[in-house]
Amino acid sequence: MLRTIIDKEIRDLLRSTKFGYTFAVCAVLILLSFYVGASNYQTSVTHHEAARAENLRQLEGLTDWLNVEQHRIFLPPQPLAALVTGISNDIGRTTEVEARGELTAHDSRFNEEPIFAVFRFLDLRFIFQIVLSLLAILLGYDAISGEKERGTLRLALANAVPRWKYLLGKLIGLFGTLSVSLLVALAFGCLMLPMMGVPMGGSDWIRLVLVIVAGLLYFGSFLSLSVFVSSMTQRTSSSFLVLLVVWIVSVLIIPRSAVLLAGRAVDVPSVDELASKKASLDSDLWSDFRSALADFSVPGEKDPDKLMKAFNDYMDSLTNVRDDQMDAFASRLNEDRYNRQLQQQALAFNLARISPAASFSLATSELAGTSLALKDRYRQAAAEYQKAYASFMKEKTGMNVGGRMIIMKIGDDEEKELIDPSELPAFVYNQPQLAGSIGNVTTDTGLLVFFNLIFFAAAMVAFNRYDAR
Amino acid sequence: MLGTLIQKELRAIILSPKFTATFAVCSVLLLLSVFIGIREYKQTVAQHETAVQLADQRIQEISSWHGMRDKTYRKPDPLQILVSGLTYDIGRWSSIDSRSTVKLKNSAFSDDPIFAVFRFVDFAFIVQIVFSLFAILFTFDAVNGERENGTLRLVFSNAVPRAKYIIGKCLGSWLGLVVPICIPIALSLLMINIFGVPMTAGEWGRVALLVALSLLYVTLFVVMGVFVSSLTKRSSVSFLLSLVVWVLLVLIIPRGGVLAAGQLASVPRLAEIEGLRDGHAKNLWSQHRKEMEERFLARHDAREERDDDDMWAEMKFEDSARKDVQIQIEAYEVRLMEDWDRRKATQQRLALTLSRFSPAAAYQLAAQTLAGTDLSLKPRNEEAMRTYRKEFNQYVDEKQAEGGHVGGIQISIGSDEGMKITTSRDNAGLDIDDRPRYTLPQQQLAAVIQPAVTDFGLLAFGTILLFAGAFVSFLRYDLR
Amino acid sequence: MINTESNNGQPRLQAVDLSKRYEDGVLALDSVNFSVYPGQVFAMLGGNGAGKTTAINLFLNLIEPTSGEAFIQGISAHREPLKAKANVAFVSENVMLYPNFTAMQNLEFFVRLGGKTECGTDDLRAVLRRVGLPDEVHHKRLKGYSKGMRQKCGIAIAILKDAPAILLDEPTSGLDPKAGFDFIRLLESLRDEGKAILMSTHDIFRAREVADVVAIMNNGRIIMQENASTLSGKDLEQVYMQYMAGHNLETAV
Repeated sequence: MLRTIIDKEIRDLLRSTKFGYTFAVCAVLILLSFYVGASNYQTSVTHHEAARAENLRQLEGLTDWLNVEQHRIFLPPQPLAALVTGISNDIGRTTEVEARGELTAHDSRFNEEPIFAVFRFLDLRFIFQIVLSLLAILLGYDAISGEKERGTLRLALANAVPRWKYLLGKLIGLFGTLSVSLLVALAFGCLMLPMMGVPMGGSDWIRLVLVIVAGLLYFGSFLSLSVFVSSMTQRTSSSFLVLLVVWIVSVLIIPRSAVLLAGRAVDVPSVDELASKKASLDSDLWSDFRSALADFSVPGEKDPDKLMKAFNDYMDSLTNVRDDQMDAFASRLNEDRYNRQLQQQALAFNLARISPAASFSLATSELAGTSLALKDRYRQAAAEYQKAYASFMKEKTGMNVGGRMIIMKIGDDEEKELIDPSELPAFVYNQPQLAGSIGNVTTDTGLLVFFNLIFFAAAMVAFNRYDAR
Repeated sequence: MLGTLIQKELRAIILSPKFTATFAVCSVLLLLSVFIGIREYKQTVAQHETAVQLADQRIQEISSWHGMRDKTYRKPDPLQILVSGLTYDIGRWSSIDSRSTVKLKNSAFSDDPIFAVFRFVDFAFIVQIVFSLFAILFTFDAVNGERENGTLRLVFSNAVPRAKYIIGKCLGSWLGLVVPICIPIALSLLMINIFGVPMTAGEWGRVALLVALSLLYVTLFVVMGVFVSSLTKRSSVSFLLSLVVWVLLVLIIPRGGVLAAGQLASVPRLAEIEGLRDGHAKNLWSQHRKEMEERFLARHDAREERDDDDMWAEMKFEDSARKDVQIQIEAYEVRLMEDWDRRKATQQRLALTLSRFSPAAAYQLAAQTLAGTDLSLKPRNEEAMRTYRKEFNQYVDEKQAEGGHVGGIQISIGSDEGMKITTSRDNAGLDIDDRPRYTLPQQQLAAVIQPAVTDFGLLAFGTILLFAGAFVSFLRYDLR
Repeated sequence: MINTESNNGQPRLQAVDLSKRYEDGVLALDSVNFSVYPGQVFAMLGGNGAGKTTAINLFLNLIEPTSGEAFIQGISAHREPLKAKANVAFVSENVMLYPNFTAMQNLEFFVRLGGKTECGTDDLRAVLRRVGLPDEVHHKRLKGYSKGMRQKCGIAIAILKDAPAILLDEPTSGLDPKAGFDFIRLLESLRDEGKAILMSTHDIFRAREVADVVAIMNNGRIIMQENASTLSGKDLEQVYMQYMAGHNLETAV
């Protein structure tokens, strides 16, 4: 019985022009998103490599590690960011490394190339979130009310078919056909990635598969929502209208409004305030430092090397004191801001999760490593690198090099050896652990499953009371 | 006759329950977005003011002309309430000093990426996405729906010319859909006024143009719906067709165009350019250093005849030599950046040309241009900041020359005199009240309108073309 | 076979060698000739695809004739469609009208389209009452109307146009017996006012009840045309079946 219904549903769908057209459009878009993502990734890698090479090249010709300035590290492009851009284009990618002090990342892609910010990107997440949810509505809005209008509902229910079986068969038929056809398109897209030279490791594949699973769950929740609304309404035109309004509200309105509301509810001090406080303390410390510097004297000592050594030690201790004070102050401020940000995030996301679109978006960006955590992870990696860099420099120069000091050694006539920039420690950015990512997306995936179930249950209840005349 | 047709069309739209529902949704959405936009703007203004104030405080605390530096902030524009455009994507401030060039850093989204996760909903977004969708939803069955109802035959059993009918259809739908939209728009503008957002006459002029643009854009979609419906016999087909067309035009083509341009005309990363610049700068500096070294050694040999003043004169010379190098570096950087900007401009032109196949892209670009939050936002601000930087540096130089301050600390270690540390002679509070101040020049209305003319023209052209299409295809429509 | 005794003047509706071949090659109408005179009900009887609706569409110039001509009041419907259509009213099968409009609003619109500028609410109400729609439904939206009520509304529109000729496309299909009966009475009263009425139907009983001339159509041709008076006494159904059978035999050979 159930098989008959499913069978009918599949045939009905596959033969409809509606399915033919919309699926063709979606398949093209999916393939396009994979193609664009892959070639975008390639471009980013080329640019990234060029920037890195140029950064090392500009250090060539130096004879002293002391003169190393403007050493930059870059956030490498992530393979999956091409499919789920997340915030990867919004945050700074370039960090100027100094042995001391706070590091900040600059030059987000959108700031550098605002042309891409005008219309944003066409990534797989966008296709799923906007286009496929519309497709779900388009194919589900007349599931019940359409059969009623055609008179087939009465005919079907004139047989000994329990209503729940009818509805279940319908949903399985719809969802099965659509997800299989989408999976075919997605499989071709996935095939494109290694072919276009995107290095996908084992865990990347798992992540991608999970992104697709989340996508299908999201698609399913809109499909069952459509069937639910369809079994609440008598006419197809009104069910479509209701669904469209729901779609606009849940895809476009709720996520944004939640963030804005959270922005109101939790007050996060602005970066400028922090920067100004830090700068003000910094300038106080600097003038103290200056006056303390004048106190340096080693009575009786004439040997320049020993003097230099003594001075370095003196400077070091002064700088350390200054840095410690600065660090303590800055980290207190940063931590406070960070905690508030976390609070704001938690509130915003929990509010936004009323909408399946938000859950989907959060889950996929987490899986692709382009969620908000990307910024923190990059900052931490940069801080780690700073330590390595500082100890490297200390080893090479014998001193803690900070900013602002221009050190000129005069009088050594002998030909000096050039430094080898490639000796510099390399910056490595590691993706988070797969297990951790999966752990982080359980809530959102669970929510998507929940949406599927609740909409299906609601559809069941509504259909049981449906006026099938 | 035409009057009757238009009146009927108007009635058919306004009496339908779906109109009431959508009108309510649209109005609430629009008012909400403007309300949020106003609050967001006010907060941005408050933040901007604090930042400027803090920067002011900072500059007062600086004790030497040598270390004189300023920070300029991009000023929020009231029109970003309606069209946020790139406001949150591009950097907010730049440091101003003699060493580094102007560069806008730290976009709002990079500081608070949480807002980047779901972006903002503004007036332009609602018009672009929601209104166009609804315009199509109300017109996709304009002609074939009547055929299905049987009213088309009934209408044409009367002495009604087809031309009049299709004109009445378009005009009536336009009146029924576009005029009601004006109500929430007017209310939201009123809200801007009531909440005391300061707007100049020129800005109101731009808002008026923005509203006109939005109405034109909605008109285009109304006419498109009628066109699609006069191409097809069944409303279910035209529904599908118009939805597919909508997805392509509004969601896909604008993005696709930009991405295609990115593929065709690739632009290197800024970091690469900066690497080139730094390499060049390093060479110049090392050359400079060598020269200074030689001078120093020569001086060192003749140190017996020198007094303190000579020493300061020497420092002055070094300072000016340093400045020369800086000027050279800057000139090189300007050349590099100009080249980069040219390549970027090529890419942008290509991208925008490709994207403009979609009316949604044309609308968005024109709206951003009118609001001043378009691609020119960044160069415009940077240009103004560059001008300010010149003034500021000149001022500092003059003051420095007047006061004879060079600044900095000089530490010398020699085998004879041991270690000697010199700080600049004077670091009493500096009088900087007469320093230049940074202001962003107001955009002239004409300067805003001119680049938007193309897009206005494109939208008007599209509308006329679609209307002609609807007209022609209806003249041949099978009325049975 | 053609037999028209009651020539009270010029024919109001006239088909002269009217043919229509569709793009797909189907010959829907094959050199059909007939005339409808004032005060006459002309019924086209036939199965689906016989060409009845094609004939009406040709009178309304909704499609172009392949050859021949359809005249309304002597004006060619094809060459001067607007002038011709000013003289004809039309009632279609299962008309939905505008579901969001009330009966009054629907009427108002079509009356104006018909060229009447001054038409008071009272006139509209009177006509609605005449076709059998009680006052309380005049201001209800058509969404809630039954098929019969909508059909009455359609007839009201035709009556209001007050044209000399009326075209009816399957007017009684889907109506209940009471509504069908009412409809026939209405048609008779219109005939008595001197209207020329062309009606397509596959309802033999209604046709016999009201028609002055009955034409049986098959495969785009009129295979029999009789005055009702000559037919009286015979069983029309039998005649119909006879002709159809004979004709089918003919085509089969």
